[in-house]
Amino acid sequence: MALNSGLQIDESALIRAAQEGDHDAFEQLVRIYDQSVLRLAMNLLRSPEDAHDVYQEAFLRVFRNLHNFRFDCSFHTWLYRIVTNLCLDQMRKRKVRKEEPAVLAGSDGPLDRMDSVAEERVDGDPQRHLFSGQLRNRIKQVLEGLTARERMVFELRHYQGLRLRRIGEILGTTEEAAKNCLFRATQKMRVALGDFV
Amino acid sequence: MNQVLNCADARMLFALLLYGELSFDEEERVDAHLDGCAECRAALERETSLHAAFDGVAVEPAASLLRECRADLAAALQLEQSREQPPLWAGGSRVRAGWWAQFTNMLGGAAILRPVGAVALVALGFLGARLMPFSGESSLTGASQDGIARVSDVETQSDGTVRIVVDETRQRTISGNLDDQRIRTRLLEAVRDPSNPGLRADSASLLSQRAQSAEIRSALVYLVGHDANDGVRLKAMEGLKGFANDPEVRDVLSRALLNDANPGVRTQAIDILIPGPDDRSLPNIDRAMIGTLQELMLRENNASVRQRGQRVLEAINASAEVY
Repeated sequence: MALNSGLQIDESALIRAAQEGDHDAFEQLVRIYDQSVLRLAMNLLRSPEDAHDVYQEAFLRVFRNLHNFRFDCSFHTWLYRIVTNLCLDQMRKRKVRKEEPAVLAGSDGPLDRMDSVAEERVDGDPQRHLFSGQLRNRIKQVLEGLTARERMVFELRHYQGLRLRRIGEILGTTEEAAKNCLFRATQKMRVALGDFV
Repeated sequence: MNQVLNCADARMLFALLLYGELSFDEEERVDAHLDGCAECRAALERETSLHAAFDGVAVEPAASLLRECRADLAAALQLEQSREQPPLWAGGSRVRAGWWAQFTNMLGGAAILRPVGAVALVALGFLGARLMPFSGESSLTGASQDGIARVSDVETQSDGTVRIVVDETRQRTISGNLDDQRIRTRLLEAVRDPSNPGLRADSASLLSQRAQSAEIRSALVYLVGHDANDGVRLKAMEGLKGFANDPEVRDVLSRALLNDANPGVRTQAIDILIPGPDDRSLPNIDRAMIGTLQELMLRENNASVRQRGQRVLEAINASAEVY
């Protein structure tokens, strides 16, 4: 993992020291990864409170179980496995709690609802249009409509920049399955957002 | 396996192509198709634009959220440690435990003894309060023309008169300009006087004129972060204008922007943190500040402050969505 590659930190040594009870080493480990963990949780859950809870629980689980870590995968993969499981649980709970809008039919109409931005498309600056509020709203809606796994794979690939092989390792599946998941996610998004571009 | 792709099949692979997740053969076939198909090249451009648009909804956690997470994690870890680890003095490299953990460890670390410890502390506090000298205003204190006086001893003398020893603090006047260290020292004391917000506001206003001094700036930062009086905080913020790049200043203003109860303070915080919308330095706003502004969008009720934050986010093409 490229995280902190510029820093001369021997991660294995930190992990071993933390396993032996060195809390400074544990804190250093947390500091290496905690911003990306928080960003992942925040982007997936879109709630500072939920992201905070995932952050706490993830690092507490790491603290409690670090002695069981045997270096048979990277620490990053192990940590992200914990974080993604917590996020998936939270996302699934939300799906149960409330009816999410259908993937391709948001609250304000079916897929071809582009009337409100038609004039802007004719006259506006394309770059400005691209990042318009309407497009962001639509992207948000479509992201929320993806299944939890599709959403997770898309997040890890697009926003966290992880390769599909690593994503497969984190989610306990194959690279091919992760690829199929990303394919489905991007297909849905293209169908839902194609009119914008 | 070099079968030729038709347009529909090629377009299905565009997303994976952009992520660099196609196999060598798949990518070759897509490239071959694109070479001879202008429509698909145009479609790929649209797909690339869509791909880039996804970046616009990325949310960067506010620096304050990260700080809060770290602080809460540290507290939770300390609790874990006090539950599971032997006492600190048993050796080994340990995080310093808080006084409560150390106190309960002194009691043997057994959870059942913790309530006993709590009762003991309450009793100590009660006893301590009764034994400590009366620290508030009392009938033994009084104001004289010279200053505050306190009777420290009384005694009946042989002739029947009473002898009283009075400790007095006498008022005196110091004059000088703001570059005089004596003046600065007194002003730095005055801004910490809990009993007189007017004095604190006046002192903060004076100190604000010399915020280039790190010591004074630090005092102003403290006031912005801690003073209960709105006027004092506003006066202190005056001095922080022009120091938004100082990490300490940036940090306290970010917290004020998100948490201060007074909308005037929040408005002033954003004005200091972010230059005007037309300022060319806007695109240089760092990710932590973007996160702070996005968090502001989540919690801000004041229309003017919201509008200001939203304009900045729009100006730098960052998401201002409320999730």
